[in-house]
Amino acid sequence: MNATGIPLKEPSVSAVAGDTEQEERALIDASTRVPVLMFYTSAMAWLILGTLLAGFVSFKLHTPDMFSEISFLTWGRVRPAHMNVMVYGWASMAGMGTAIWLMARLCRTVLRYPLLLLAGAGFWNLGVLLGVGGILLGDSTGYQWLEFPRYAAIILFIAYTLVASWAVLMFRYRRGEQIYITQWYLLGAFLWFPWLYTAGQLMLFVVPVQGVLQSAVGWWYANNLLFLWFGAIGLGTAYYMIPKVIGRPVYSYHLATIGFWTYALFSSWTGMQRLVDGPFPAWMITASIAATILTIIPVATVGLNHHMTMQGYFPLLRYSPTLRFTVFGAMSYTVFSLVGVLISLRSVARYVNFTQASIAYSHLGLYAFFTMVIFGSMYYIVPRLVGREWRYASLIKLHFWASAYGIGLMTLMLLAGGFLQGANMDNPSLVFSESTETILPYLRGRSLSGILLTASHFIFAYHFGLMLLGLGRTSTVPTFLNPVEAEGSEAHI
Amino acid sequence: MKGLVPLFLGIFGTFAFSWVGLTVIPNWQIGHLNPQMEEDGTDAYPMPQSGMVERGARVYAANGCIYCHSQQVRADYAANDIDRKWGDRRSAPRDYIFERPVFLGKMRMGQDLANIGARAPAEQESPPPVGAATPAASPAQQGGAPASSSAPPGATSALANPGSLPPSAPPPKATASLPTTASSPVAAGSPAASPGSPTQKPPASPAPNAPPASASPAAAAANATPAASASPAGGPPWPVQTSGQPPMYSAAWHHVHLFSPRSINVDSDMPSYRFLYRARRISDARSADALQLTGSDAPPGGWEVLPTFDAKCLVAYLMSLNQSHPVKEVRSVAPAAASPAPAK
Repeated sequence: MNATGIPLKEPSVSAVAGDTEQEERALIDASTRVPVLMFYTSAMAWLILGTLLAGFVSFKLHTPDMFSEISFLTWGRVRPAHMNVMVYGWASMAGMGTAIWLMARLCRTVLRYPLLLLAGAGFWNLGVLLGVGGILLGDSTGYQWLEFPRYAAIILFIAYTLVASWAVLMFRYRRGEQIYITQWYLLGAFLWFPWLYTAGQLMLFVVPVQGVLQSAVGWWYANNLLFLWFGAIGLGTAYYMIPKVIGRPVYSYHLATIGFWTYALFSSWTGMQRLVDGPFPAWMITASIAATILTIIPVATVGLNHHMTMQGYFPLLRYSPTLRFTVFGAMSYTVFSLVGVLISLRSVARYVNFTQASIAYSHLGLYAFFTMVIFGSMYYIVPRLVGREWRYASLIKLHFWASAYGIGLMTLMLLAGGFLQGANMDNPSLVFSESTETILPYLRGRSLSGILLTASHFIFAYHFGLMLLGLGRTSTVPTFLNPVEAEGSEAHI
Repeated sequence: MKGLVPLFLGIFGTFAFSWVGLTVIPNWQIGHLNPQMEEDGTDAYPMPQSGMVERGARVYAANGCIYCHSQQVRADYAANDIDRKWGDRRSAPRDYIFERPVFLGKMRMGQDLANIGARAPAEQESPPPVGAATPAASPAQQGGAPASSSAPPGATSALANPGSLPPSAPPPKATASLPTTASSPVAAGSPAASPGSPTQKPPASPAPNAPPASASPAAAAANATPAASASPAGGPPWPVQTSGQPPMYSAAWHHVHLFSPRSINVDSDMPSYRFLYRARRISDARSADALQLTGSDAPPGGWEVLPTFDAKCLVAYLMSLNQSHPVKEVRSVAPAAASPAPAK
């Protein structure tokens, strides 16, 4: 089947796969069942909590007098709590769940040492819980995405070490010589994260660097977390799911290689552009801006590769939930990167640097790209773990459209509002509060989008809960979004 | 891709490249700056902060002030921060060498705070009276500037010896600022109504630490009272404006603003931080720290609202934020503006 000579193992067409291969996969899936479901279930719980916190944050931003007597409900505490719940609770745990399942599948071996993963998930939950509690009680460190107080950070790190050592062990048991594209990204993510996290913690808390360099380290950490941890898991997942669902090999292995290495090289140098015109040597910021512009190369190659793989198969988006979410995420990756390039340019950053536009950027990366890809992978993986198919196609559709419209609306509101806010802020003849007044209608619009996202998350959580309880459909055919006409082309969706 | 070794090496190599390039090399370049000083070792800037200010920074971090307030002034060619009177020069790495954590910030839903302490009226540059006694007592090792780096030497001595307050710290803008602030409290951020902003060019020499400008002796006397003894019945311990609010960016102003932002600026988006304050029944005399609240914020008769220690630390921290001292590596926009430049 590998007519192009591309050594693809997993995304080969299943029609060719023999019965033994099918059985082997079923065995592997069964072995991943408990650990992956534990990660997913925890992630769902954090997602719901984070959503509630987000709603609170969004409404309080334009209704600032709510609950002002209660210290742990002040905006400045709930906001970092929301961010950290989403980053470490939801996104990291769901991402690790998917990554674990993909590792087992791609290493073509049953999952070994599940206890490492169970302990890892347990400690991770404990770390996030302590960290969020610490933030709400006033122990925040004040560094973006590293707000967790040290006691939580240590627990989180222990948890991470358990998961990463599992990944390395699993890799040693892999069968076959070739390492698929997804595995590059996953290995990268698993190896980059500990270095990143350690470097961030050491340089900020243990042997703190001086003065403004703390901010530099902080943004270097935050941006690399976005790219090298979430971005790498998201892209790796997309590289698996798209060819898998449509049953066709990746268009070009060479493009994938170029995309991976340029991604690793350039995206890791971004971060300082967030500090544009700040008190830093100009070369640091210029280097990051240049790197941000150069990320167009991996974006273009990855986007082209996915597009060419999908070429001719776009009608499948009508049917497969996984494909729909994943393709939405992959397209958002392009948008996210292009917006990143745009707002990093000095002439634009002059206006948008200190505005809500940067919130739009983070949400594009973490939600429109990463979270949507992960939703897609969960629609693929969970039925294989619980042995049931998703119960209601309508709920999946609702989930998709609420998420897609919600994040789209939020991005537009924050970007448009951010530009106006920045333009007013840069005009010294206007009173400062004019700039915050300008954005208020957009913040209300954002709250509206938050309602959509909240609805979508509750729908998904309900559906996921049904699956966990074994209330999914018993069927050999996956749940399609729309009834499949008798064409035969969707046989292996 | 064949073989694990190139993959591993590549993964480590790319990341090491970024780590060295964006954190290690900058650390060589600007990670070990010292305070600058004159040839003879005087006029050191910046100076380490007092314990109270450090604790205030933790309060600032804990309550997420950084998510709405930046602390950096961009250069005049890059943005209009300086035209907004957020500072008279761009921020430099040296300004932050004693800050931990550094709150450069990424969002301006509120004003930039890099120079908020410099915009305070002169007599309030030191922390509020009661709080000020604490740091002055404890960090003896820092000798010269126990209260905050921003307090000019004159104010420091005033801390140690309250009796010297009137001569060393007259309130230069107290009367001058009356018309503008009183007429439009809404315009808190407008350049036209920031009376304190251009006033505090710290003098090069310790002696004249405030422009010897306009203050009438009567006003100076009125302002001397809080440090010595509060006069509970005799009105608020700061120069009263017609609207009943303290002068902008004074410590008392910060307390009222933190307690009830919209009583000062109706357009403000800032949450109120009432949990940093305690209402208390007045026992015998009204406390000197009690907030001057008006309208619906005012406590019922016989009660007063007092800042907690955290609130005092936070305000001490805010008052310490001051980058108005010139640094060698950055050109000040208006180097000669040692006297208050009238706002446009």
